[in-house]
Amino acid sequence: MKVAYYPGCASHGIAKDVDIATQLIAKDLDLELMEVDDWNCCGGGFMDDKNEAVHASLNLRNLEKVEKMGYDKMATPCSVCLNSHKVAADKYENDPVLKEDVDQRLKDANMEEYDNGVESEHFIWVLIRDVGIENIRKHVKRPLTGIKIGTYYGCQLLRPSNVMGFESAFNPHSVMDLVAATGATPVAFPMKTACCGFPLMGSNPPVALKMANNILSSARNEGSEMLVHPCSLCHLQLDVTQDKIQRQFKQDWRLPALYITQLIGLSFGYTPKQLGMSKGSIEYLRSRGIS
Amino acid sequence: MEEKEITVNIKKYNDKDGAFWKSYKLKADKYTQMTEVLRRIKSEQDPSLAYRASCHMAVCGSCSMKINGIPSLACRTIALQAVDEKNEINVESMDYYPGVRDLITDIDVFYDKMYKVMPRLIADESVLMGENEQRMTPENQTEVWKFQECIYCGLCVSACPSVKEDEQFLGPAAHAKGFRFIDDVRDTKKSERLDLLMDSAYRCTSCYMCYEVCPQDVQPVIAIKKTKNYLDQYKGNTPITIMARKHDDTVENLIETTGKIKESTLFLKTFGFGEAMRDAIDMLKSGKFKYAFEKDSNVKNMNEIKNMMGEKK
Amino acid sequence: MEKKEYDAVILGGGLAGLMAANIVAAAGFSVAVVSKVFPTRSHSAAAEGGIAAYMMGNSDPNDDPDFMSYDEVKGGDYLVDQDAAELLSKKSGEIVSLLDAWGAPFNRQPDGRIALRYFGGQTYPRTRFIADKTGMALLHTLFEHSTGFKNIEYYNEYYVLDIVKEGNNVNGLVAMEMKTLNPIYLKSRALLIASGGIGMMYKHTTNSYINTGDGQGIALRSGVALKDPEFVQFHPTGLYPSDILISEAARAEGAILKNNKGERFMAKYAPHKFDLAPRDIVSRSMTIEIREGRGFEGGYLGLDLRHLGKKYIIERLALAYDAAKNFSGVDASEEMIPVRPAQHYFMGGIDVDTTGTNHDLNGIFSAGESACVSVHGANRLGSNSLLETVVYGRETGNTMVEFLKTHKNVETNSNVEPIIDAAYAYIKRETGEHFGVLTEELRDIMWDNVGIFRDNDKLAEAVSKIKDLRVRARSMYVTDKTSNYNTELFNALETRNMLDVAYTMATAALNRKETRGAHFRDDFPERDDKNWMKHTITYLAGDEVKISYKPVTYTRWKPEVRVY
Ligand SMILES: Cc1cc2nc3c(=O)[nH]c(=O)nc-3n(C[C@H](O)[C@H](O)[C@H](O)COP(=O)(O)OP(=O)(O)OC[C@H]3O[C@@H](n4cnc5c(N)ncnc54)[C@H](O)[C@@H]3O)c2cc1C
Ligand code: SF4
Ligand code: SF4
Ligand code: FES
Repeated sequence: MKVAYYPGCASHGIAKDVDIATQLIAKDLDLELMEVDDWNCCGGGFMDDKNEAVHASLNLRNLEKVEKMGYDKMATPCSVCLNSHKVAADKYENDPVLKEDVDQRLKDANMEEYDNGVESEHFIWVLIRDVGIENIRKHVKRPLTGIKIGTYYGCQLLRPSNVMGFESAFNPHSVMDLVAATGATPVAFPMKTACCGFPLMGSNPPVALKMANNILSSARNEGSEMLVHPCSLCHLQLDVTQDKIQRQFKQDWRLPALYITQLIGLSFGYTPKQLGMSKGSIEYLRSRGIS
Repeated sequence: MEEKEITVNIKKYNDKDGAFWKSYKLKADKYTQMTEVLRRIKSEQDPSLAYRASCHMAVCGSCSMKINGIPSLACRTIALQAVDEKNEINVESMDYYPGVRDLITDIDVFYDKMYKVMPRLIADESVLMGENEQRMTPENQTEVWKFQECIYCGLCVSACPSVKEDEQFLGPAAHAKGFRFIDDVRDTKKSERLDLLMDSAYRCTSCYMCYEVCPQDVQPVIAIKKTKNYLDQYKGNTPITIMARKHDDTVENLIETTGKIKESTLFLKTFGFGEAMRDAIDMLKSGKFKYAFEKDSNVKNMNEIKNMMGEKK
Repeated sequence: MEKKEYDAVILGGGLAGLMAANIVAAAGFSVAVVSKVFPTRSHSAAAEGGIAAYMMGNSDPNDDPDFMSYDEVKGGDYLVDQDAAELLSKKSGEIVSLLDAWGAPFNRQPDGRIALRYFGGQTYPRTRFIADKTGMALLHTLFEHSTGFKNIEYYNEYYVLDIVKEGNNVNGLVAMEMKTLNPIYLKSRALLIASGGIGMMYKHTTNSYINTGDGQGIALRSGVALKDPEFVQFHPTGLYPSDILISEAARAEGAILKNNKGERFMAKYAPHKFDLAPRDIVSRSMTIEIREGRGFEGGYLGLDLRHLGKKYIIERLALAYDAAKNFSGVDASEEMIPVRPAQHYFMGGIDVDTTGTNHDLNGIFSAGESACVSVHGANRLGSNSLLETVVYGRETGNTMVEFLKTHKNVETNSNVEPIIDAAYAYIKRETGEHFGVLTEELRDIMWDNVGIFRDNDKLAEAVSKIKDLRVRARSMYVTDKTSNYNTELFNALETRNMLDVAYTMATAALNRKETRGAHFRDDFPERDDKNWMKHTITYLAGDEVKISYKPVTYTRWKPEVRVY
């Protein structure tokens, strides 16, 4: 099956491992990821703060490219990119004042009015809805039996639920279902849908780090050994940034954080290194006999 | 009408006994609101049960509580739609606010935040003297009304992660309120209002929790984002807004010139050399430093991007 | 006990109370506003449809304030004091402009002026609105405006027990902080009662849970008269079965009432105005339809919006659409909304003149639904109550300012212990009657016997039953002995007030042997201008309701037959 694929800036930058792992498992699952032609940054979480109309236009440009490629669905591995495209399309549909501004911008760029013909989806939605959990389970070569994985959703994947529309914002199960498919033991924890704080890194870092620490602590308190999440930007916040968190909160523990396709990749038999993981994660997995 | 027996578990609280759960059984039909459930428990089974309710039609904002863990208005929740497989419902008081009695919390902190944003229209003197009539387009009215529809229920603040961690953050509802006046053509205090709101706006983490729980669909986070849209008109300089400015300008610049964001450039420009170096060391240790040089191609058709990013149309 | 002194104390944080508070504070006097709920949770928030106003240059070109007054007088079946109605119409435009200046986001016309629409009983369209949450938007506007005054102090979630008198002068009131049950004496020389309606004494009501007639009960206990308490309005379209109001705006925007045969039955009862005839007429017509077997099973009729189209419904009637969907599971664009009449408004109230002054005590004023200025007479028209709260809230505020300028606070502190002891007695008592039992009985009696159709037997029975309930209420007790937000105690205190007010209402209804407006007597089905064109004045003295009369003020309109 072919699906339009929007990697987003982060996973083509310092969260490259998100893209690496996603591409690897997609191939195994016969998903052909067709990168969106000449895609641009969605500006998620930044550009809408600056100018709503510019933000919407940027996102609609990507969706129009997808339409031109002949697809009606665009999958992205990043929750923020997902949220950005979905919220932009929703505003465009429901806010006539904004639409007018956006239409003018699209016209200036020699583009057409957008007709809402493309659904943005998270890559994990495609995994669950189109590939199917059963199918994924069939590809598991190395069941991760016995590893307790904190299942984290974060904010942008779930909310606002009337726009995102995939699952309940309060009782989600997608990440849990995928983790269960790898043979690992999913661990639900109280802060599983709270924000990791990444968006505050650009204005209020101390509070941003506090939020990240809350997530990690909450997962750890419920017995998680590792954390799995669905977002390129959560990845920046929860993986390498843990060094900062450790310093700020004088903590002597780490909770390795993996992107969801990295975990799936492990169960498909790829090595942590192939999946582009950070040293901390590689070391922990080695200690659990996985390399 | 068909009725079903349900079990309602309520987390009760009083100063003497502390918190404890108590269960009640009663019959409900498909129309029964949770406020009616509580009223009947109170008048038929446990007169001491304390909760707030007034309008029973979702306009007074009294009956905020957590139902099955979800911040909700009781009157807007139909009992039979809320029960689980075992026909049970769990009811607790809101998070964040100090408990007073059973489902009643003390939400003074919520009101205090509302008062801080000068929540009243300051019209032109000539209008107040009756010399001038105020006009307002229907579109302006629609947008103002959207953010004015807040019923002071406090649910968004109870669920907001930033409020919990940052005392200086005004919180979602107060921001919606504050922006409602910025947005109103009839108001005369825009720059004072930006002074009140801008620093706090950058303390929101855009997690959309307020949007999700708001029973009035006020979408406070959107009001916050719209407030940030005014950053250029804001004259003040707080550490937070200075950093936000740098960050925003860099992002905009990157998109304008390449169509994409490079996190490494962004870090360097926003946090300055020192902090960025510390990050770089962390990256080195993690083995991910190589990704910092990951070079993605720029957008080819940059004209499209540039034309879209111009001034307000 | 804590004691504080103010120039004016205002009982009630609804529209009437807040409007007066803003006016008195603007004149520089200190004001305490006491409310048993945070002000924005007052019942005013529930008002949906709108506020009537004739605005110069922004009304139907054929309309003028006199037409508006005439509509009120006729709508109220001539029991309206015509000077009061004229004042209401005359000030309607400027009050809406004032609310606009204070920030109320009224819906607009394309040219930026305030929009308007039709409501029941209006000759020309006059209703101004803010989506379909007009009351909420206005209440927030007034509350938020008041946050600009340093000389207004709020006592939110304080329950007022009783008025304090010194001789014939008002000397403040006693309230209880609900969180702690600590009493507080708020001393003042001027006191406004703006405590709203009485709906909770009826089994079916559109009113908030907190509308328990406290102010009226407090007034009666202090020797203050209620005027015309037999007049209670029943709204035609309470949502079945929750009795949530489906605003008259629905019919104003084109919704049609239908019986189980699919007939537009209002054509029979009001051949000109159809579904937009005044509420008393529509409610009675509906009751007849249901009584004669043309209702749906369960006792309701259908409100048909389907022909208006989903887009229009969602845009103009969001609240009605949502209410039907959320509270009855009905999609109004596909099915009829199930409706039946329910208690809605109390036309009677504390006897005041057009300045808001009551003449039984020195320094006592009333405004809003708790007052009876006699602008609504025997039946209120839609959109006129919000108007009354703000117009007479302001008039009364101005009167209070004048009063404050010429009067000094009473020097002595009154003995307020008996008031507090009476309240605590319910907690101290270990056995007796429970408030829940008494209220449920009262709500049945009022609905069955003092409802839409009345007659001698029903009313006489109601009077004797309520009399009995009042005796039982003397041994009322509460099981909750804590002082930690003891809502049970407040429910008991509310029950005491409801019983006192209901007793007066039933007695006055039994006394008025004619049919007028909302007071419909099966045994006296005609209006009797010769004997009954007069206001009922009631005092409560122990077990006795003392009835006297006051003339109706005419200016220019002579009674005619009321057809719609
Ligand atoms: C569902 C509904 C819809 C309506 N729609 C409309 C409409 O569209 N147009 C229209 O004109 N009218 C409408 N009305 C009528 C109108 O809303 C009310 O008559 C009006 O709002 C009353 O305002 P108020 O200020 O007198 O009292 P309220 O708003 O009821 O305020 C009473 C205040 O008194 C306080 N109080 C009462 N007792 C005590 C006590 N013991 N101690 C302390 N405080 C106390 C309360 O806390 C509250 O603050 C509607 C009514 C209902 C029920
Ligand atoms: S989006 Fe901002 S205001 Fe809303 S809940 Fe999240 S942090 Fe709070
Ligand atoms: S913004 Fe929404 S959730 Fe927050 S207080 Fe207002 S109505 Fe409640
Ligand atoms: S009781 Fe008013 S909002 Fe629920």
